[in-house]
Amino acid sequence: MAEFRLPANSRPVPGISHPAPPGAREVRTFRIYRFNPDSTENPRIDTFVLEVKATGPMVLDALIQIKSTLDSTLTFRRSCREGICGSCAMNVNGVNRLACTTSMQDLGAGIRIYPLPHMPVVKDLVPDLTNFYAQYAAVKPWLQSRTPPPPDRERLQSKEDQDKIDRPAACILCACCSTACPSYWWNSERFLGPAALLAAYRWIIDSRDEASGERLDELEDPFRLYRCHTIMNCTDVCPKDLNPARAIAEIKKMLLGRQE
Amino acid sequence: MPTRPLSPHLSVYRMSRYTLATSITNRFTGVALSAGLLLLVYWLMALAGGPQSYARALRVLAAPPARLIYAALVIAFCYHLVAGLRHLVWDTGHGLERAQSQRSAWLVVGVSILLMLLILYRALGTHGS
Repeated sequence: MAEFRLPANSRPVPGISHPAPPGAREVRTFRIYRFNPDSTENPRIDTFVLEVKATGPMVLDALIQIKSTLDSTLTFRRSCREGICGSCAMNVNGVNRLACTTSMQDLGAGIRIYPLPHMPVVKDLVPDLTNFYAQYAAVKPWLQSRTPPPPDRERLQSKEDQDKIDRPAACILCACCSTACPSYWWNSERFLGPAALLAAYRWIIDSRDEASGERLDELEDPFRLYRCHTIMNCTDVCPKDLNPARAIAEIKKMLLGRQE
Repeated sequence: MPTRPLSPHLSVYRMSRYTLATSITNRFTGVALSAGLLLLVYWLMALAGGPQSYARALRVLAAPPARLIYAALVIAFCYHLVAGLRHLVWDTGHGLERAQSQRSAWLVVGVSILLMLLILYRALGTHGS
């Protein structure tokens, strides 16, 4: 049964308010989720104020600035700052996105930043993605073949066949989609979630892969696949413009198709 | 090591997103319709109970509070029907692009309101004649 309320140790309490920089004119207020694993206290919401003109354009710029000027203990993942590593996925103003590709211009003067929803929190904005990665591994995201490869060349693929996997293969595993999915919130131990299912789809339709049948067998399960109720949050939030919802619908169609 | 806290979900996610709003409304209207079936069961039981119990049930079922429930059920029915058709289209693998599902969300709201008005108009019309 889904647990809609946060456990007692997870409910955020009001935190520290850092004052606006002196002489600042146009400012943005950041309310940021904090959790310190070294203390026994509940998570708290800290408030930081930055001057708009003195901050870079993206949410990640603001986080880096807060860390370097106001509170060096603020913890978050980041790496590429250009939307290809998927490290800085977080919930900004109620929607999951990559901090590095989210412009603050579109967000207004008040910005709320939380870790990805319904995940165990390691520290501040860093969620524990162990289960998420295990689910990715569970769909065996590698080429499975029985026939030997041609002796003189690689396994070739037509342009059309490559086009089919082009978009699904662009997934960066940022977990924005899975952690935006209410079905995943309530059943993350048994429902694979949009990211893993998109990966499964990418290998099922790969013309070089020879394990589509086994892959479909693995997914034919009331929870692993069929907890998807087409809420569409996954496709709505994907920072790479991919479409896990359609991938899942296609997998359902393939399962139905092979019953005939 | 103390257990890790769970990050906030329902309390922080933007519920007014077209995806969540249409989905939750579909859930709620579905639950409401199932609960509304109790009225039908009540009516059938009264019917089975003979003329006296049936006459008593008719009085209860024609009372203003019951009428309010019917109006709510009509609204729930219209939305649930149209949203269900949207799901049917999705299950064929169509209309799943982001822009399409955004448009169809508004379409569902519009069509269900139209349907609702039509049913209410018909209901009031026959009542008047």
